[in-house]
Amino acid sequence: MPVQYILGEWDFQGLSLKMAPPVFIPRPETEELVEWVLEEVAQRPCVAEAHSGPLILEVGCGSGAVSLSLLSQLPQSRVIAVDKGEAAICLTHENAQRLQLQDRIRVIPLDVTSEGSWAHLLLWGPLDLVVSNPPYVFHQDMEQLAPEILSYEDPAALDGGEKGMDIIMHVLALAPRLLKDSGSIFLEVDPRHPELIGSWLQNRPDLSLDLVAVRKDFCGRPRFLHIRRSGSQGGCPADTLPGPQAARVPG
Amino acid sequence: MRSQLLRNVVRCLGARPAVAPARRHASCGSPALEELFARGGPLRTFLERQAGSESQLQVRGPELVAAAKLLGEKEQELRETERLLHDENEDLRKLAENEITSCQKEIAQLKHQIILLLVPSEETDESDLILEVTAGVGGQEAMLFTSEIFDMYQQYAAFKRWHFETLEYFPSEIGGLRHASASIGGSEAYKNMKFEGGVHRVQRVPKTEKQGRVHTSTMTVAILPQPTEINLVINPKDLRIDTKRASGAGGQHVNTTDSAVRIVHLPTGVVSECQQERSQLKNKEMAMKKLRAKLFSMHLEEETSKRYSARKIQVGSKGRSEKIRTYNFPQNRVTDHRINKSVYDLETFMRGEYLLDELVQSLKDCADYESLVQVISNKL
Repeated sequence: MPVQYILGEWDFQGLSLKMAPPVFIPRPETEELVEWVLEEVAQRPCVAEAHSGPLILEVGCGSGAVSLSLLSQLPQSRVIAVDKGEAAICLTHENAQRLQLQDRIRVIPLDVTSEGSWAHLLLWGPLDLVVSNPPYVFHQDMEQLAPEILSYEDPAALDGGEKGMDIIMHVLALAPRLLKDSGSIFLEVDPRHPELIGSWLQNRPDLSLDLVAVRKDFCGRPRFLHIRRSGSQGGCPADTLPGPQAARVPG
Repeated sequence: MRSQLLRNVVRCLGARPAVAPARRHASCGSPALEELFARGGPLRTFLERQAGSESQLQVRGPELVAAAKLLGEKEQELRETERLLHDENEDLRKLAENEITSCQKEIAQLKHQIILLLVPSEETDESDLILEVTAGVGGQEAMLFTSEIFDMYQQYAAFKRWHFETLEYFPSEIGGLRHASASIGGSEAYKNMKFEGGVHRVQRVPKTEKQGRVHTSTMTVAILPQPTEINLVINPKDLRIDTKRASGAGGQHVNTTDSAVRIVHLPTGVVSECQQERSQLKNKEMAMKKLRAKLFSMHLEEETSKRYSARKIQVGSKGRSEKIRTYNFPQNRVTDHRINKSVYDLETFMRGEYLLDELVQSLKDCADYESLVQVISNKL
């Protein structure tokens, strides 16, 4: 059994988080995903409105590691965290409360691959950022994973389909409809993906997404992508089309 | 002329040029300081020269000259007032006594100020530092002693209101300590701690000893100044960062809890490692901190080795293998061999409070003194 499940907790970005099977255990690489987002937010102050910091959507929150570390280091930010797994929803919620961050996070069960399910996310207004460490393992590689992973962690948190791209493609397809102009997407992926995604995006001009940068992890593998929604206005985003107006997150 | 003055300087020290063992009597500290200010002595000559010369010694030349002048005036005032001590009038005598006390106080302050102005401040004086302790000869007993010394410094940091963060901690089986390091920061932290580097020796009956014999064990303390961002710039391209996740695809494919990070500075080959924390990011930060301290230390070595070569109180790698202090439990005594000073009440000393602080101040005074002597003799 993975040590993190035995101990029932593990550290991520300086936070201590509860761990419980089968919820996916945060990997060290993902700490760098958070670092990158923080760097970008610091450089683009127009992303955050005066009274409330960036509005962030995390797809596939798992234990809440990414969402909660962003919240704790961006005191004005707000996060909508979604996951397909019920256990993940519960665990993220629990970790949020442990860290007293529950007021700035909404944890919602959601399967982004299921048609139209995300529509109600529009209620929270246009997003500044979408962040995700989606399941990206190539299906054919699944059986080669270490036994402790296969036996204890939720396969749905790992299996990305034929080219490990299934969930990634859905995230990229829905992001432009949720993001502000020039809003950003930050993804963690398999080292083979940057190229695949680059070409895929070029075949989908309708999405208005540009691959801005690829960053390597501490092992020197291309691991992280920064993709930006190119707005018709460009530059600092004003609020976009009114859309269904409703309560801002959180209440 | 020059050699005569130099001989005077040496006489003031009461020292032979080479580092000699502890047969010397208190050759550092206030009595010698008084000698330094003796009339007609090298320091006086030096100060007079300063007043006269156009190109002055250093940036604070004017302050120095002003202080020296004021000192001369105060001493004159003192001499005149002292005559009044023999006056018939009792009131006048009392007045004189008060005047003399306050005059002496001012004179002491001025002398202190002059010394401060003369002793060159070091690049590192305001730095934070990394403290490293390592058990030496003596097995389990050495490791137990190392743990006690580490605790002593931790308490000393609290006493001085410094910030203390343990970076690494490798304990032994019975509660001792093989090796540990800590980051210490705060006002004048390095300035005070820099003389603690070296071999500390303990003499006592170890806990592990069954027959009640006294053993001698050792441990080593190393003090590394921590550079600020400005003092030391490292180009990320010069670094190779090794981690245990190197093989395979990494990321979601692997769940390893070994987050050890090792950083190699390619141009110099200096290596720094950390595996203390669960978080890779944290280990990387700590390894970088240690790397910076090591590189900075090397950079300083070159600069200070010339300056410190002839001194009793060594700093940096020269001092690292010298036996600087003995903690003798049966005699309840701590002796620092550099200034040959003994402190009694070992238990209180090891609490890392005022007794340790007093010793540190004595060492500092002695080092200042040596600095001063060097400054003067260089300028003669």
